[in-house]
Amino acid sequence: MEKIEINQKVLSKNDMDAAELRNRFKKNGTFTVNIMSSPGSGKTSLLEKILGALSSKYNVAVIEGDLQTENDKERIEKVGVKAVQIQTGGACHLEAAEIEKKLPFVDGDNLDLLIIENVGNLVCPSEYDLGQDANIILLSVTEGDDKPLKYPTMFFAGDIFIINKVDLAPYVDFDINKAVENAKKIKSTLEEFIISCKTEEGLDKVIDWFERGILAKKQCS
Amino acid sequence: MHETGIAQSILDIAIKTALENGAKKINNVAVKVGKMNAIDEASLRFAFDALKEETMAANATFEYIDVPLTGKCEECGYESELEGYFVLCPKCSSGRVTILTGNELEIAYIDIE
Ligand SMILES: Nc1nc2c(ncn2[C@@H]2O[C@H](COP(=O)(O)OP(=O)(O)OP(=O)(O)O)[C@@H](O)[C@H]2O)c(=O)[nH]1
Ligand SMILES: [Mg+2]
Ligand SMILES: [Zn+2]
Repeated sequence: MEKIEINQKVLSKNDMDAAELRNRFKKNGTFTVNIMSSPGSGKTSLLEKILGALSSKYNVAVIEGDLQTENDKERIEKVGVKAVQIQTGGACHLEAAEIEKKLPFVDGDNLDLLIIENVGNLVCPSEYDLGQDANIILLSVTEGDDKPLKYPTMFFAGDIFIINKVDLAPYVDFDINKAVENAKKIKSTLEEFIISCKTEEGLDKVIDWFERGILAKKQCS
Repeated sequence: MHETGIAQSILDIAIKTALENGAKKINNVAVKVGKMNAIDEASLRFAFDALKEETMAANATFEYIDVPLTGKCEECGYESELEGYFVLCPKCSSGRVTILTGNELEIAYIDIE
């Protein structure tokens, strides 16, 4: 018997597909953002509210991931933005190969901004790279301020942390400062945004973050 | 979950290396898994065992080497294992901690004959 040292990084097929996508987005100068949250935290609502301001200046598209239905894609199209739906059937996350297949449906090589709304789930989606530049982790106040501690891998994957539905904060025991503090224990560089899609509080700052990302991506492509 | 895709890649690398070294079979595959990968050991073993059937690794054992999450504080210089998934210095609570180990996912070595 013989022992052979290898010491080679293991990449799954998805990692390789994602690396290819990342090159493509870089070449095309497409700022790509993956939005993750529990079901119903308000991912689609946020997009409905901010896409207008972005699509008036930039070429924008959305890829929607859900287990079933085309509802979210239709909601995005109603605000005048190109969208395509991925129905995963049973899978709790999106994979890079599925994104690659859908790009031709949304003019995928000419975009300034591609937003991917992942399947509602705080565990699995963060384990699958999609070639994105940034991850948004969304949490609504009805879910509890301890969520960052319970789902650390999701928050560790995040670049920005958005707390949504603050209009409901007075009705639930959700401590915004504590939620932010908990998230920063997992990742100190997480940037936080406090918003309500209903009252539109804080949305201007989120739009601003997207614009900065789009411009930065153009410079390095 | 993602364990299946990872197990397939591990097996592919192991077999390729074994063939390059003129082996007839693989007896053991050793993999280093950092805690930040959020890999479930049982799922990874299960996937590896299912995929290895009818390959030259059919009888191979799977050696899972757990790598803890450790970090170095940029403020006070303290190096330690980090508890839970908190990337916070246990001594001074600073968030400016550089991860030293815990991100690795690599095939360390194989035993062949
Ligand atoms: N009060 C209040 N309700 C909100 C807010 N944002 C979203 N909602 C409501 O929350 C519900 C779920 O919103 P969606 O935008 O569909 O959530 P989602 O995260 O896209 O859901 P899935 O795609 O199914 O995971 C809807 O009934 C929204 O009207 C908010 O800021 N305040
Ligand atoms: Mg939605
Ligand atoms: Zn310290």
